[in-house]
Amino acid sequence: MATLLQQLTSGLVLGALIALIALGYTMVYGIIQLINFAHGEVFMVSVFGALATYKWFIPQSWQGTWQIALPCMLVGAVLVAVVLAVLMERFAYRPLRNAPRLAPLITALGVSVMLKEFVRNFFPGATAAVSVPRAFVDKAITFAVPGGTVVIQSTGILLVVVSIIGAVLLQTYITRSRMGRAMRATAQDPDTARLMGVDPNRTIVLTFVIGGALAGLAAVLYGIHINTVDTEAGFLNGIFAFTAAVLGGVGSIKGAVIGGFTIGVIKTMAGQYFPGGTEYDLVWIFVLLIVVLVFRPQGLFGEPERVRA
Amino acid sequence: MSAPATKAPVLVANEVSMVFGGLTALSNVSLQLGEGQILGLIGPNGAGKTTFFNCLTGLYTPTTGSVQLRGRVLPHDPASVTVAGVARTFQNIRLFPSMTSLENVLVGRHARMSQGPLASLFHGPAYRRGEADARTRALELLEFVGLAKVHDELARNLPYGDQRRLEIARALATDPSVLLLDEPTAGMNPQETEATRQLIFAIRETGVAVVVIEHDTKFIFSLCDHVSVLVQGQLLVEGAPEVVRDDPRVIEAYLGKPPDEVEAEVRQYTEEAGPDTQVKDTGGNQ
Amino acid sequence: MNIPPGWSWLGQFLLYVAAGLLVIWLLVTGYRALARFLGGRPGLVRPLAIAGGVLAVVGALLPWVTFPLNDGPYPDLATLQFFDAPFAVTGFRLFTLITGVAAIALSFVPRIPVRRVLRALGLGLAGVALVNTIFPLIDGGGFGAITAADGAFAFGGIVTLVASLVLFFVSKAGDLEPLPRWNTKVPRLVAYAALLVSFLVLLFAVARLLNSGSDSGGGSTTYSGPIFLSLLVFFAGLFGALHAIGFAGWLSAVSDDHKLFSVLVLLLAALALPFTEAGTDYWMTIAANIGVYAATAIGLNIVVGLAGLLDLGYVAFLGIGAFVAANLSGAAAAEFHIHLPFVVAALVSATVAGVFGAIVGSPTLRVRGDYLAIVTLAFGEIFKKAAQNNIGGLTGGANAIPGVPPISWFGASFDESFTIGGVQLPSGVLYYVLIIVLVSVVMLVFANLKNSRIGRAWIAIREDEDAARAMGIKTGQAKILAFLIGATLAGLAGSVFAHKTSTVAYDSFQFPESVTLLAAVILGGMGTIPGAVIGASLLLILPEKLRDFSDYRLLLFGLALVLIMRFRPQGIVPDRHRRAELAGEAEGGVPIEELNVPDSPQGATR
Ligand SMILES: Nc1ncnc2c1ncn2[C@@H]1O[C@H](COP(=O)(O)OP(=O)(O)OP(=O)(O)O)[C@@H](O)[C@H]1O
Ligand SMILES: [Mg+2]
Repeated sequence: MATLLQQLTSGLVLGALIALIALGYTMVYGIIQLINFAHGEVFMVSVFGALATYKWFIPQSWQGTWQIALPCMLVGAVLVAVVLAVLMERFAYRPLRNAPRLAPLITALGVSVMLKEFVRNFFPGATAAVSVPRAFVDKAITFAVPGGTVVIQSTGILLVVVSIIGAVLLQTYITRSRMGRAMRATAQDPDTARLMGVDPNRTIVLTFVIGGALAGLAAVLYGIHINTVDTEAGFLNGIFAFTAAVLGGVGSIKGAVIGGFTIGVIKTMAGQYFPGGTEYDLVWIFVLLIVVLVFRPQGLFGEPERVRA
Repeated sequence: MSAPATKAPVLVANEVSMVFGGLTALSNVSLQLGEGQILGLIGPNGAGKTTFFNCLTGLYTPTTGSVQLRGRVLPHDPASVTVAGVARTFQNIRLFPSMTSLENVLVGRHARMSQGPLASLFHGPAYRRGEADARTRALELLEFVGLAKVHDELARNLPYGDQRRLEIARALATDPSVLLLDEPTAGMNPQETEATRQLIFAIRETGVAVVVIEHDTKFIFSLCDHVSVLVQGQLLVEGAPEVVRDDPRVIEAYLGKPPDEVEAEVRQYTEEAGPDTQVKDTGGNQ
Repeated sequence: MNIPPGWSWLGQFLLYVAAGLLVIWLLVTGYRALARFLGGRPGLVRPLAIAGGVLAVVGALLPWVTFPLNDGPYPDLATLQFFDAPFAVTGFRLFTLITGVAAIALSFVPRIPVRRVLRALGLGLAGVALVNTIFPLIDGGGFGAITAADGAFAFGGIVTLVASLVLFFVSKAGDLEPLPRWNTKVPRLVAYAALLVSFLVLLFAVARLLNSGSDSGGGSTTYSGPIFLSLLVFFAGLFGALHAIGFAGWLSAVSDDHKLFSVLVLLLAALALPFTEAGTDYWMTIAANIGVYAATAIGLNIVVGLAGLLDLGYVAFLGIGAFVAANLSGAAAAEFHIHLPFVVAALVSATVAGVFGAIVGSPTLRVRGDYLAIVTLAFGEIFKKAAQNNIGGLTGGANAIPGVPPISWFGASFDESFTIGGVQLPSGVLYYVLIIVLVSVVMLVFANLKNSRIGRAWIAIREDEDAARAMGIKTGQAKILAFLIGATLAGLAGSVFAHKTSTVAYDSFQFPESVTLLAAVILGGMGTIPGAVIGASLLLILPEKLRDFSDYRLLLFGLALVLIMRFRPQGIVPDRHRRAELAGEAEGGVPIEELNVPDSPQGATR
């Protein structure tokens, strides 16, 4: 029982992280139908961005004070992620807006390889895992449950809270604000949106910015929660996040969040209880993905694709 | 011309309805297409004409109702429908842009060829004969629609009118008994429109029954044996061109000045004001 | 409180970025202004050509580096010592000299498209100059290598760079000539002779290229990179010039007319490679690897290039083939202790991989487009995980399956060297031959399928799936078939791979390898027959030659993917149609709009 609950909590924390990244995927896919493969790597790079901010951009005397260090890392990470996302959109994806579908997808792949290799080559020490300092109060809360205890890190709670609040705010923004409406309009039909005075380029950039900012947020929380990062962090988390987005139905914010939590929980549960253990946890996630896609190609909360004719 | 389909219709649609979410795009549309007939389908934008074609060809699965070709119910699978003998063109031209005209038509032959993967791998004598026959037939069809000269051009490089005719040739390559044309003259100049009219007559001569969607009513009335009017998903009037043309309901609902309450006319009006400024397929979506 | 170091780095970085942008802006503006100035002055062609040619000759004779580099004197007498032996103009300086003389001479030849030719030669020369300036800069410790020492200034590189620009700008003086079209109706014998000679020249060029800068065993040295690159860009310039005068187009048309003969000659040329200077153990091994990758990439090309389905886990099929073959090879570490003859094992490997291909492809029945990419990626990861954990004892896990015996037919073991007619052939030559056969077979399969009913159906699906269905194509079946055949070919390649490398380990079949395969297809040209081979060759040879940059291999590779998609999405060898289209236009970058496959070609709204 304790193990089950412990795995469930860890799963929820992981799921919160995945959900934050998944939001970026889902928004970009929703608006330009592009699997932005590089989004996972943007997340990874901004973990290093947060780390760099901590190591080289804030004076040593501040590093111990989390009230200062944490916001600084956040700014650094978000800045890195947003700049990357915007550059990517402007120089890699925008020129291909009308190209055959494979072209931007392959470009995204290229960008993601580049980002990863860039960090591996140029961030000192990044050829192996780098440790991220605990810049946050290092507290854990312990609950007594039948048959043992369940431990939850304060950073874990933060992750869950932040991701839920983030998703709610995002949902509100998209449904209520003017820019949000413009986004939805562009997603449905860019040409018509243009006729209605919406600048699709601006809207798309904004989407990338929001996605990037969320990835930056996720990056800092990931860094302080896991306390270590390597260049592989982007690939797998990115894939999980994309899977979450697909599972929930690409384009749907609610879907991304629920998908994220589902994947997080399945990963920890499968690692504990399924044959093969943690070695095969990812296999179960993919099996789930494939099953969902086969039986409900639009995902849990997505809208079915229209046949055009 | 031939009488309305009283005896042995080729294609029969029984009470076809199509509902998208809350929107009823078609409600209980029935239609009979006689052997050798040219049937015109008109109606304002968003009336459901294209949707009807999609239901006939299995691209959509109708919510209720069925379609029969020579008494056999058609499956809801475009490929099988084509194999059964119903071919179509698309309102937004849907050629294979980076294939040549000839290859586009050869793709149309697909269902009438039988070489499997192994034959395709080894290119044996039987395979070559089949391939040569298909080529000959495809070239004939290109000749038929007047595109023989451009058989080696990429489809995307053809002028607009040629693309529309290539789509017809490609559809004919499937040896259909029924050909569905979705706005075959859209964007054509008067000469091209006239040529298309003659082409459709010629197609009928080969024994293919044709259904044509068009907004150009003059074109429709001078071409068809039988005209059906679809308004807001319902079959409003059908009959011989003269009858339909003079029917007050049609005049009111489709040809006339915009009365106050029917939304469809407003759209018809905006279309005349300029099709390009109009937002496509709105209206019905809410 | 002292300021953390990051800020000054950031400041420097931004400064560099700003400077870089400024330089780029200046270059672009200068380029435009110059092009505009020259545009109305066609009379400047000859003076510019002569000026460029003279500068190039001077550049060739000037010193390029002022002192010996860390690893000994820069090859080809780039340093001041050149003046001790002025007549030994070799290596890249020879290319520079040749280009310069050729430019002067060509400007007097009537009836050739001088602008086009000099543009190609100029670009090639620019490549030579850049490679041989940048390399000493990096390797020789900064600008010191080309600036003052011994009171001399080594401006060879700079002068040559200027010369190349001058030559390039010849093409801007007046309008570019149309691409000449030669008469392709030539007597059979002439055609055969032309093809034979061209392919022979190609063979020797490739051999020279492979061995450029190598040590006696064919392996790389410190200077292999720049020497190889210099030769490569020089050849590229020459080829560009041949294209400009219409020869390349003519040859390709002639070889199209005499397909069988061309294919035979090409095959013979490939088989003759072991007899040339590139016939070393080292290059035979590389060539075999290239062959394995090329065969797999051609399989992938069916899936991606023809059917338009992105597969991101494709290397798994190569892996499946390799593991199956390893298990049937009688290797001690294998799960099954049976030793099947290679041909049988290869067929089994291919079949198993094909079955997996069909399984992986089956979601295509329901999953559209991009999602499929993720599904295939997922399958790739599942395969890797399974292999890593030694699933069913079949893969050896982290221990791999070592000791797969070499293929051996009629008592001849494939990894030994042997002698034909007094010529000692390198070891691995039998593998090389086997792989040439394999690649030829795979190419034949691809070519036949592409020009068949099935191939047309695949292309139709790629272009417009709904329209394809409306043509009576059972798209689900067709797509699964694409996966099945592609995977079968990969499995076949895998079986050779297992024997050739003798150790089959899961880490040869991971995501980067899948990306490499995809890159080979894209680089070479999607949907084309020679494309995958050229792509695979480049992707495997470049890392061999550019050992110094091996850390940056993947970085450059990602960059290459992005740039190719942006500027040349049709790859190095454009598809037949593309070529037909290009014949009329100016060659070079094709605007991306042309490659669109828009939903409605003319944007019909009604
Ligand atoms: N796949 C779909 N999902 C939802 N609504 C659809 C779909 N296809 C068509 N519709 C709706 O059905 C209605 C009928 O559309 P349809 O395209 O059939 O009209 P049409 O008569 O062909 O008009 P036009 O003359 O403009 O071509 C429209 O309101 C359209 O928005
Ligand atoms: Mg319509």
